Amino acid sequence: MSRPAAIVFDQASVAYGRVPALEQVHGTVHQGEIVALVGPNGAGKSTLIKALLGLVPVASGSISVLGRPPALARRQVAYVPQADTLDPDFPVSVAQVVLMGRYRRIGWLRPPGRADRDAAAEALAAVGLAHRAADRFGTLSGGQRQRVLLARAIAAQPAALLLDEPFNGVDAVSQEALLATIRALAAGGAAVVVSTHDLGLAQLTCDGICLLNRHQFGFGPPGEVLTPDLLRAAYGGAALELGDRGLIVARS
Amino acid sequence: MILFSSLGDGYVWRALLEVVIVGVLCGAVGVHVVLRRLSFLTMALTHATFPGVVIATMLGLGLVLGAGLFGVLLVAVVAALTGPRGAEHGRETSSVTAVVLSGGFALGMALMSTQEGFSRDLTAFLVGSVLTVQPSDLVVSAVTTAVVLGVLAALRKELHLAAFDPGAFAAAGYPARRLDLVLLLALEATVVTSLPAVGTIMAVALIVGPAATARLWCSRTATMTAMAIVVGVAAGVIGLAVSEQWNVAAGGAIVLSVAAFFVASLVLQSLPWGEPVAAAVARRKSAGRPTYSG
Ligand SMILES: Nc1ncnc2c1ncn2[C@@H]1O[C@H](COP(=O)(O)OP(=O)(O)OP(=O)(O)O)[C@@H](O)[C@H]1O
Ligand SMILES: [Mg+2]
Repeated sequence: MSRPAAIVFDQASVAYGRVPALEQVHGTVHQGEIVALVGPNGAGKSTLIKALLGLVPVASGSISVLGRPPALARRQVAYVPQADTLDPDFPVSVAQVVLMGRYRRIGWLRPPGRADRDAAAEALAAVGLAHRAADRFGTLSGGQRQRVLLARAIAAQPAALLLDEPFNGVDAVSQEALLATIRALAAGGAAVVVSTHDLGLAQLTCDGICLLNRHQFGFGPPGEVLTPDLLRAAYGGAALELGDRGLIVARS
Repeated sequence: MILFSSLGDGYVWRALLEVVIVGVLCGAVGVHVVLRRLSFLTMALTHATFPGVVIATMLGLGLVLGAGLFGVLLVAVVAALTGPRGAEHGRETSSVTAVVLSGGFALGMALMSTQEGFSRDLTAFLVGSVLTVQPSDLVVSAVTTAVVLGVLAALRKELHLAAFDPGAFAAAGYPARRLDLVLLLALEATVVTSLPAVGTIMAVALIVGPAATARLWCSRTATMTAMAIVVGVAAGVIGLAVSEQWNVAAGGAIVLSVAAFFVASLVLQSLPWGEPVAAAVARRKSAGRPTYSG
């Protein structure tokens, strides 16, 4: 695949204040690719996503998003947080949440227009929740809320999509619906970075894997990165085994 | 009712106008306070504005002007102390707020104790004195309300997103801190403006109460805002009527009617049929039209 690069990490280190959280990340996410960030708790997956959003500074090396420093690319980047971090009692409808994806495009002071409403309705239909448009956001299930947040990101028509553990607590059917939507967006040319703890899912559905634990253990096609040696190194020894038919996660 | 029969007196008209204006302002601002869980911060602002009143009196400045200037200073201090919101380095807000609250109030009391003659005037600013509202106060209230409502309406998209999902708001590259500051200034302007009617201490009830009541019934921010304004105005008018009828302090009567609205809503919703009624109201409001409005 020789598509243009969308996100380029060049020996990037990310630090909170003076404490380095993540070092030596090096690799490229091309347009239309889905790359998974995997690694144990505290590995730095969320940190890397925050760095891609320009919310945590790059201490050394560089990160470029769509050819620019992360903080300057934010208008073309959509971020999907974990749905369970949001207040379920907030008085906002599903349709309004999706429309929020358009706000940056609409700009200050102007109200949403016809095109914005259409884009929001289309995005909601794409995640299969058009019939819930008028319901309050908090009345949806966890998996449905996650799909609404994905719809909000799609409505923004981003060139890059960043998702932080979108599959947590989501059942297999909703997971499939989320994945199908993410794939469609990637097929349209967006670069997708998704953090997950589900190695099987990452292996089966992603074009690339970035294996992290405070520094990078591998960045490349699943077959090259999700190897027993690299996984053991990243997860600290004994936790994981690979079988020949796909991935088997086991304790030894 | 004595309220209506005494409308011939100018001061009752002015009081009525004042509670309506303040009810609208507090209702609208309160929605943001409740949605962002800033009730405690609001309480701190109301208390810490108090020394501003005392200083203004000592210097012979206009009270509202003095309190307003002090309030702006206060907002700057709070913003500086709490640090960047959302960023993990920000200090824990509620302890900062608590210190500001008690420190400001203590400063006011200390200053007041040095000025013997003033104590009577100043209690009016602790508990309010709506019946002595002057035409100039009305002008200040009306202008502040127009400006604050204008700002809230102009920024409603951004305020809504920032309240609902601060993480996504910052990630989208919005200037989250500056928006917080605008909201804080609007809040302080509201506190200062409601001083003549209900006083520093009870202003918090008039800001938080109507919005908290509306939140119990509404599933959209727009309807919640409308209902908060209605409750704010209704509580003001009812409180004033009660105060004229039975000769009780107007500020207290207004705050008591706010509390009555809130408690009544809580009780209604906890009755066996309360939930279905609230749900039906919500459903009817949203039925039919997929509301893609901001
Ligand atoms: N705001 C912060 N200030 C300082 N250190 C932080 C901050 N946030 C995270 N860290 C540190 O950075 C490291 C990486 O954290 P991060 O949240 O990126 O991990 P993660 O891979 O997302 O983990 P998880 O799987 O648990 O979500 C952790 O050691 C954590 O202690
Ligand atoms: Mg994380």
